[in-house]
Amino acid sequence: MIQAAVISNGLDGIQNYFVSNEKITYTLLEVGKDFDPDLEGFDLLIAPNGSDHIAMAKLKGKVAQFLDEGKALFCFDGWFTNWIPGNQWIMSNEKKTIDIRYFIKTDAYAIFDGVDVDKLIYNHNISGWWACGYIDASAHADVVLEDTWQRPIIVLDEKTTNGTIILTASGPLGDSGAIPSGNETSFTALSKLYQNMLNLIIKKKNHENNRITI
Amino acid sequence: MKTIGLLFNGVWSQYTFATAPKYKHLIKLIYIHDFDEASLEGLEALLIPFQSNQKAIAERKDLIYKFLGQGKKVFIEGDSSMDWLDAKWEDRPTNNYWWVENPNNPPISETDFSHPIYQGLSARHSCWHTHGAYTTIPEEAKAIQKEPNGEVISWETNQYGGTLFATTLDPIVEHGVQQITHLAHYVDQLIYWLSGDKVSGQFEVPKENYGIPV
Repeated sequence: MIQAAVISNGLDGIQNYFVSNEKITYTLLEVGKDFDPDLEGFDLLIAPNGSDHIAMAKLKGKVAQFLDEGKALFCFDGWFTNWIPGNQWIMSNEKKTIDIRYFIKTDAYAIFDGVDVDKLIYNHNISGWWACGYIDASAHADVVLEDTWQRPIIVLDEKTTNGTIILTASGPLGDSGAIPSGNETSFTALSKLYQNMLNLIIKKKNHENNRITI
Repeated sequence: MKTIGLLFNGVWSQYTFATAPKYKHLIKLIYIHDFDEASLEGLEALLIPFQSNQKAIAERKDLIYKFLGQGKKVFIEGDSSMDWLDAKWEDRPTNNYWWVENPNNPPISETDFSHPIYQGLSARHSCWHTHGAYTTIPEEAKAIQKEPNGEVISWETNQYGGTLFATTLDPIVEHGVQQITHLAHYVDQLIYWLSGDKVSGQFEVPKENYGIPV
């Protein structure tokens, strides 16, 4: 069981995307004026699609400290401010969505195990529906998924900080059936991808807890 | 000169729209948690986009109604789910693919094309998808767009002094996302209606706008 903090921007229905279960307890941290949450006790920080990146930029130091304590960060949104260590999301409309394809590049932890990449590319035969823009990734990070033009779309970074950072280029992911897709098969792929990411964080935490130090 | 305020929730699509060179000379970003009377000085109109923090807006609704009382314009889009409007919004499934699967059956069947925002627009340019419906609207409001079942998608009223226009369309956020390529038709007419300024040209996304500190 791990403890996750989910940044809530007051958007309607966010609680439906992160429902606590036997693996994980979700706590919503609602952004308000002078947002300064206590991250003590959480293993994982999640910035879902639709997050407030002005508020997150004001927490930049706190997030860096959280990661340096060996904790984990998921960001499934477009962070236009510079609050994530070593990695930056960039919005771009230079490429046509009709030309967008995704390719697995470095998937050391098999987070795409059982996930059909085509379901992230196409929805109702339309391509480019899931992510937006790309990630200017840290040179030390693994680019798990890249697009037609070798631009990072999913990044896993264990080197920039002591913690684990998993990022999508604003591709929404969540822990329940409320993924914004009308296509059941695309939903299945997104759900599986999220569970694989979550299982990695749980496995890493268990490994850390079981480690014997001399 | 910036004459249109945009209540900003720290969401990237709102930021991308308001910082695009095509619009940025007209749009003032007003961070919702800093929103006060001084924020509205010199403005003629206010945009309240989809993915807003409705709870934070509700706490500051008097500012909006006072602005309307001064004869100004307010345009509200998307999930106006809180009770600060004299209208009832209800969620409905969003259909993103009607134009692929059933192009002759758009979600909106009735549009008042005499309204300045809609003059000269095609049916497709006036509706891409909807986010719910209004099941009741203010006493003196007039429906501008309806679904085939009669549910109201867009309405307008002058009963608060200025002009209040509400819609469950999401032109600002979707134009920021840049996945629907024809939205400039709608948005440019909206900007003209709100400010009296005509805009033209391509929607550009300067890379230097990303990775900013706060």
